[in-house]
Amino acid sequence: MQNFRCSLLFFLSLFLLSAVTRVSAAAPPDPTEQLKPVIDKVVGLLKDTEFRKRPIVDQSEVIVKIVSERFDFREMSKRVMGKQWRKLSTEQQDQFVALFTKLLQYVYIGQVDGYLDKKVEFAQQRIKRDRAEVKTLIVGENKTIPVSYIMILRKDTWMAYDIAVEGVSLIRNYMEQISTVLRDDKFPGLISMLEKKIAKLEAGEKDE
Amino acid sequence: MDADQFMRRMFRVFLVSLFVLGNCGLLYAADGGIDFLDDAFYEETPKEDAVKDPFEGMNRVVFTFNDYAFMWVMNPVATGYSELLPSDIRGSIANFFYNLQEPMRAVNSLLQVRFADAGTLLARFAINSVGGVGGLGDPATLMGFQKVEASFCQTLYTWGVPDGIFLMIPLMGPTTLRDVSGGLVDRFSVTPFYYSWAAGWEESVGIFMGKEVNNLSLHLGEYEKMKEMSVDSYTAVRDGFYQHRRQRWEASVVYDQAENTIERQLE
Repeated sequence: MQNFRCSLLFFLSLFLLSAVTRVSAAAPPDPTEQLKPVIDKVVGLLKDTEFRKRPIVDQSEVIVKIVSERFDFREMSKRVMGKQWRKLSTEQQDQFVALFTKLLQYVYIGQVDGYLDKKVEFAQQRIKRDRAEVKTLIVGENKTIPVSYIMILRKDTWMAYDIAVEGVSLIRNYMEQISTVLRDDKFPGLISMLEKKIAKLEAGEKDE
Repeated sequence: MDADQFMRRMFRVFLVSLFVLGNCGLLYAADGGIDFLDDAFYEETPKEDAVKDPFEGMNRVVFTFNDYAFMWVMNPVATGYSELLPSDIRGSIANFFYNLQEPMRAVNSLLQVRFADAGTLLARFAINSVGGVGGLGDPATLMGFQKVEASFCQTLYTWGVPDGIFLMIPLMGPTTLRDVSGGLVDRFSVTPFYYSWAAGWEESVGIFMGKEVNNLSLHLGEYEKMKEMSVDSYTAVRDGFYQHRRQRWEASVVYDQAENTIERQLE
């Protein structure tokens, strides 16, 4: 009898729980609406010649502040590490997040830079539970490049954790690279490699 | 005692629900090729990346060679060429070569039992050859016949030929054992066209190189950017190759035409 009551209670609570989640999911914010202003702001800044005269480190700092509102760099770092993430100590995790975020900033600025003479169109979006894909098209003279932002719903804000350019997931691609580097050079090797890469990107851009 | 039993039951229910939910995840992933919204995409090793790379050491050497060849020969040549001709003319040249391959694409889509696509491809070839002045223009796309990809590599894939091993080919780039043979068939299938204009094999090679340089001139800077942002460019290229190929094949869907896609699936 008690068993019966227990299981009844359990299923009842399951039912209630599902009802609650359905209610809270009833009116999620629109991912495109949340993403578009941030993208427009970044593109606007990168087109601004006054802004571009500042040193690259300054530029990326400003841009990161804007972009962090919509891009979850910690989530990206976590995904890129895959199963290795849990084996790292908290300090190692933070160290990696800091470096990888920096690398992604430069990558992102570089990517957007290449698209400045083209038009960004927001095509469609697809929502599945707490995940969304916002599809944008970068329309150039000869070619249209599809770029998708993959986002997760955190409370009432959508945060991007992956970018897919022509169907190639950036995070998936980095995952493969990082697992190879970890295989060959272990964690310290990865950190020093990232540091070198970032130093190069910071210096390389200054020459222009 | 009761509490213990209850916990055990909870655990069993938890296991069952995990199993059910897990299968749902698999279902989602199975119907449309890749689904970025599915965490399985990030957690599992995709079947392509499980393709063995036993000659990684040698492949890396070839990769370094290709990198030099690209940075010091191909890229300067294509850059110089891109300065000689405006991009719309280069686009037309690319269209011309793309159009030559169209009948072969139609044959391949027949071999893959994609009849609707074969029809689209034949229509594209006819429209572009006549209305596009021998394939220089692409009026077929404007008329609603979108580009469809169908190569012999893909045919072999549909027939269940496995990838074999990953290979980095000098001057050609990333491929797999299966795609090398498929790619050769695709390339040689259009050489009769070259032969009919070329005086000798040297000219055929010249035409082929011209085509490659022209294609590259439309994608300048992409490789450098990729190299700049990667921590291990060899792996980046390998995974990029697999992801891009999967995107082209399994989800060979025209991006901004959702209605079209549904129609095609219904057919």
